Amino acid sequence: MHKLLLAALPIVIAILGIDAHVRRARRAEDRPAIAAVATRLPSGDLALSGGARWLRTPSMEEPGAAFDDGIAVPDPDPAGAAMAPPTSVWSEKP
Amino acid sequence: MRSLLSFAVGSLWRRRSRAIALGVGLSLTVTLVAAVLFLTESLRAEAERGQVALPDVVVQRLVAGRPTAVKLADAKALEGIDSVARVRPRVWGYVFLPALQGNVTVVGVPGVAGLPSLDGTAALEKGRDLHAGKHEMVAGAPLARALGLVVGDSLGLPSPKPSPPLTLVGTFGSAVDLYAADVVLCDEGDARAVLGLQLDEATDIAIDVKNPQEARVVAGTVLDRMPGARVVEKSVLARVYTLAYGRRAGLIFAACIPALIALVVLALDRASGLSPVEKREIAILKAVGFSIRDVLWTKMLESLVVASLATAAGLLLAYAWVFWMGAPGLRGALVGWSVLYPQTSLTPSVDFAELLGIAAATVGPFVGLSIVPAWRAAILEPMDAMRG
Repeated sequence: MHKLLLAALPIVIAILGIDAHVRRARRAEDRPAIAAVATRLPSGDLALSGGARWLRTPSMEEPGAAFDDGIAVPDPDPAGAAMAPPTSVWSEKP
Repeated sequence: MRSLLSFAVGSLWRRRSRAIALGVGLSLTVTLVAAVLFLTESLRAEAERGQVALPDVVVQRLVAGRPTAVKLADAKALEGIDSVARVRPRVWGYVFLPALQGNVTVVGVPGVAGLPSLDGTAALEKGRDLHAGKHEMVAGAPLARALGLVVGDSLGLPSPKPSPPLTLVGTFGSAVDLYAADVVLCDEGDARAVLGLQLDEATDIAIDVKNPQEARVVAGTVLDRMPGARVVEKSVLARVYTLAYGRRAGLIFAACIPALIALVVLALDRASGLSPVEKREIAILKAVGFSIRDVLWTKMLESLVVASLATAAGLLLAYAWVFWMGAPGLRGALVGWSVLYPQTSLTPSVDFAELLGIAAATVGPFVGLSIVPAWRAAILEPMDAMRG
């Protein structure tokens, strides 16, 4: 009975691993459908958006937000694989 | 060994308040960290699935630092580049729908003939694929639901110039919800009218390369022929998701620092020494014949039981939170804020190796830290230990 306490972790890992494997296999069946739609879409980006600016296709958008989502809120979506420069850059005199 | 385990469990039961406090703290920390990792990896995997059909190079024209329409003549100029298999000007863009207070993505399909049909695939939930020139559209199921549209209904999208209403002939299935929840797929001519693009304009240019290894060379040649253009390679697109989700996950972890510090404090509490009651217990064990090895095994088994149960509960909670319940609370912070939110449940990307890694990173240090104070107490003479 007490050995079950030590076996709990391997059992949970096995259950989660098998569940994840089954779900991945089920999702793999959707590949042809995803490929058929993806060939028509401008990018494979997920249909999820950002806050202050439209980031439906983060890989295609302009690098850098026009304004913050909120006061002192960091930009969570570095579009176009570009990160904004540190704000101190703007205060430096040439 | 069995009797040592029984004794360790009994010892934990006698100090159950402390064991439960330690276990709950450890479990909640594992839940939080594992849930963020599960969700981040799942989103990256979904993004990778969508990249199968991406062009090797995408070319945009920039004016004043913002993407603007490209001329079809630009596309013609790129067709002669060595190693380029196909140059496709694409018509797509965003339209703000006041009724939804959100954007939809309008995508023009250039002559449905050359593309694989959506009919008969899981891509379509209801209806059929587009017929060219019929002013038809296929839309994401969440979008159709939000607008109260069913197959056969017509919709006039806001546009700078009058454009014919589009008839909904099909909706995308849940299999592609994550990619097409907010998409309106229509004929290229209709998309031009809705987006206000002239006949000689396109949104961007997609280039397919004969040998993907030469994409960088092609990108360089494109820049030579179109100075000031923005050229995005397929490898860069993949990097966007690594960066975006990695950074979001980092922000959440930063917000979790107090919880992580609490775990360190708990661990330090274990490492800093045993309570007088525990020291007396070890002294009694030695007095009745336990060896130092037996004592160390007992203490290690105590820690192992607490850490194993807490980690198992943490992993189970994290998995259930993300994949069975849809990550309420966490999804908004990590995924995004779309008005037309895909309802599809996420697919786990986590495998046995990652689960074992999280378990080892939690259980290993926790058990290791319990050995040192137990060894210090075990090497004392029983009488000295009982006197304190």
